[in-house]
Amino acid sequence: MLAYKFDWGVLWRQPYGEWLLQGLWMTIQVGALAWVIAFILGLLFGTLRASTWWPLRFIGALYVEVFRNIPFLVQLFFWFYAGPMLFGKTLQFKINSISGLHYYVAVVALGLYTASRVAEHVRAGFASIGHGQYDAVLSTGMTHLQMYWYVIVPHALRLIIPPLTTEFLTIFKNSAVAMTIGVAETTFMSYKIDEQTFHGLEATTGAMAIYLVLGMTVVKLMNLIETKYRIPGLVTR
Amino acid sequence: MFDAVFTNLPYLLGGFLTNVQLAAFALAGGLFLGALVGLGRISKRPWVYHPVTLYVNFLRNIPLILVIFWVYFVMPILTGRSMDPFISAAVSFVVFEATYFGEIFRAGFQTISRDLVSAAYSTGLTYRQTAAHILVPIAFRRMLPSLITQSIITFQDTSLAYVIGLQEMVRRTTIVDSIEVRSIQLYSFVAILFFVICFIGSRISLHYEEKSRKAKVL
Amino acid sequence: MIEIKNVSKWFGDFQVLVDIDEVVERGQKVVICGPSGSGKSTLLRCVNGLEPYQKGEILVDGVSLSDPKTNLYKLREKIGMVFQRFELYPHLTVMRNITLAPMKVRKQSRPAAEKKAMALLERVGIPDKAAAYPANLSGGQQQRVAIARALAMEPDCMMFDEPTSALDPEMIQEVLEVMIGLAKDGMTMLVVTHEMGFAREVADEIIFMDAGRIVERGSGDEFFKNPKSQRTKDFLGQILK
Repeated sequence: MLAYKFDWGVLWRQPYGEWLLQGLWMTIQVGALAWVIAFILGLLFGTLRASTWWPLRFIGALYVEVFRNIPFLVQLFFWFYAGPMLFGKTLQFKINSISGLHYYVAVVALGLYTASRVAEHVRAGFASIGHGQYDAVLSTGMTHLQMYWYVIVPHALRLIIPPLTTEFLTIFKNSAVAMTIGVAETTFMSYKIDEQTFHGLEATTGAMAIYLVLGMTVVKLMNLIETKYRIPGLVTR
Repeated sequence: MFDAVFTNLPYLLGGFLTNVQLAAFALAGGLFLGALVGLGRISKRPWVYHPVTLYVNFLRNIPLILVIFWVYFVMPILTGRSMDPFISAAVSFVVFEATYFGEIFRAGFQTISRDLVSAAYSTGLTYRQTAAHILVPIAFRRMLPSLITQSIITFQDTSLAYVIGLQEMVRRTTIVDSIEVRSIQLYSFVAILFFVICFIGSRISLHYEEKSRKAKVL
Repeated sequence: MIEIKNVSKWFGDFQVLVDIDEVVERGQKVVICGPSGSGKSTLLRCVNGLEPYQKGEILVDGVSLSDPKTNLYKLREKIGMVFQRFELYPHLTVMRNITLAPMKVRKQSRPAAEKKAMALLERVGIPDKAAAYPANLSGGQQQRVAIARALAMEPDCMMFDEPTSALDPEMIQEVLEVMIGLAKDGMTMLVVTHEMGFAREVADEIIFMDAGRIVERGSGDEFFKNPKSQRTKDFLGQILK
């Protein structure tokens, strides 16, 4: 063990320190943008899953099962390597020459994957709203669409803030997988530092610290949101 | 249509076997360590509870892929030899997945009434005997659906061993792809393969959930 | 055999046992009654070391429970305990429930342990249920198995914490009969219960506890006929309606 000389300076010496910070910024960007996609799509498919009309339920279930049962890495590679080919020979070359393609593919792939998980939480949220509430709203004359938009969805969203917090954290962790297609995020940078300095241990430890801080920040943020939108009288914990 | 897949089938399936082997190790180690972690998380002794809690909360904030790298970097330093990717990956997985299994076990332990534990103690069983014969078996049965779900996730996670060059399915697919450039076929194949296994697994888990809900025996 | 000397216990700021003094001789049957929250169950739990106490001393056969050198596990082999909610191991058969401790703690062989278990099942009246799981048994049957499980360790003393309180009325008698049988065979017993008929028939001493204190104690008839304290009178009035 002692044959290895630790070099913790690698973490803040230029250019390595800056690389890590750039990686952090990329992690945040990828995660946040993917989260927007995941949230919107997850809401959509989760609502479909909870629908009373079976074709809608089936579509929702299909989406969730497909995107949940395939590892994210495999999905990412599919979209990145095989995806452009789906558009035919001519478009394929155009797509592959977009600079920063890996960045866009990573965001979309991560969004699609996470949406399946969000959809499940949304469905659970709807399920935990008692049947009586649906009846009550409809009996005031609202249409189904109005009922969902004004009552059910806002209620369900508040209920699922804790599991959504977990998913938000998970999306930042899964963003690390994008390093495999060259996205210059935190984990990618720590690996790059190792390539240059052979001090991967220190670099990855530093990356761990970055993820820890990121995680704690996200939890704090979500706690603020939860407090602001809390349903009075509802015991969640 | 899947001709590139068929010509390389043995090679690809050999990689898949590696995923299965890695998952088997990860599950065996992860479940065992997870049971211990779960016990640690309900322990009343602060010198057990706090380190275990720290360990769990630490690892749950970090991407698995980073843990795989970290272990890959640390093991040669600890052992003084260069590291076999499979062993390095197996260690990463056991250490990482144990935190998730641990939380599942913990939830299971917390459903066991205090009096049941007292009943075991009052016949003279020690803590270790009570944990081994009562706590773990009951929690295992009660949490079986969650344990199966987590096992499926673990199996999916084995694909990440790609990053340290392990000759598992995804890496072999990329190798074949670089030669054949039949990306759609190849990546669809690996996706479908994982899908089928994991989908079956999730159905099994649902089956057990239904069964235990109906029986309400345990 | 059991000496409780001036024992007090606190849960945080709340004092749940206040200066408890009691001696249980070998072969004696002591019944404890009182309103819920009076500390009866807690007292039992202190006697076999499941709960610690802060003041005073409990001696079992001369061995102090608060002595750090005392092996509480060995001590628990001497005292059997039966719980209100039976607490059988749901994932094991009746036979395994009974033989687990003898095989693991006393290192008995499987045939020896099972033979003993069958004899105990005969004694409590349900030998035919040996291969069943707890969920297949009625409450009364489960509690009888629980008694057999406690007896399997050949304890010197048996403690019962409201053994019939969770049972439907028609099953109470079958359990009480087993307990009376035990009493007649000379077992030292410490029983927390509301079953005053049982107390009248079996108890050498009856203790009334309220708010953590022993309010009154007396032997059998005297206790019921001439309760001295008003609280005892009120309580008995409630129970014996």
